Amino acid sequence: MKNTLIHLTSSPYSSLACKEGLDLALVLATFEQKVDLCLSDAALSILTISQQPTPEQGKNLHKLLDGLEFYDIENVFIESSSLIPDSATQWSGITSLDSAAWSELFSSYQQVFRF
Amino acid sequence: MQHTLLVTGSPYQSKACHSALCFARAALKAQPDSIKGVFFYEDAVLIGNDLAQPPRDEINLKQAWQTLASEFNLPLYLCIAAAVRRGVINESESKRYELNHHSLSHGFQLEGLGTLVELMNSTQKIIQFR
Repeated sequence: MKNTLIHLTSSPYSSLACKEGLDLALVLATFEQKVDLCLSDAALSILTISQQPTPEQGKNLHKLLDGLEFYDIENVFIESSSLIPDSATQWSGITSLDSAAWSELFSSYQQVFRF
Repeated sequence: MQHTLLVTGSPYQSKACHSALCFARAALKAQPDSIKGVFFYEDAVLIGNDLAQPPRDEINLKQAWQTLASEFNLPLYLCIAAAVRRGVINESESKRYELNHHSLSHGFQLEGLGTLVELMNSTQKIIQFR
């Protein structure tokens, strides 16, 4: 079994990339593959709580985050410099890494996919 | 060493399908069994749309993939969920959705993401083109 990192970089509202990356993570986990997530750039907006997108804006992918533990997806990494000052508005299940740990993250998996 | 190719970039908005084709050609020429399968996901599934017709003075990317697949017996998989959402539909899905048409080009097959997981676990390396 290989360990896989899914790196989400796209906005959940500008394309399907974020959703299809999450779909792949869930399928990998369903097949009992070890999979972690990490988020950067526009994909960080998925972490903001109390999102209420209209159908035209897209699906509320934030809702999927609380279900990740049921798939045994335990790690959602972000770089600590990406943390927003008001942590009350950000999903609490993230693990923040300093710059050095963030850089090392990508070489600690056999497979990294970007969406 | 056997590879899996994962292609996610749109054939119209990126060069992912073009670069993957060049890589696959070179790899298969060097070693005919070096690629076990190619899995198209996200907008890359548009490569399998039989109704798309490129201008005659441009590369016919779909045909180029079909030719390569036929020459080396290379399976070309499209993610079924990503393809159906984008109107790339085979005969059985067409019946399931009670449609009058289907649009999947020959040489391509619709498969679930489980097929990608199987490819990942049975090859040494997976390379993403996005």
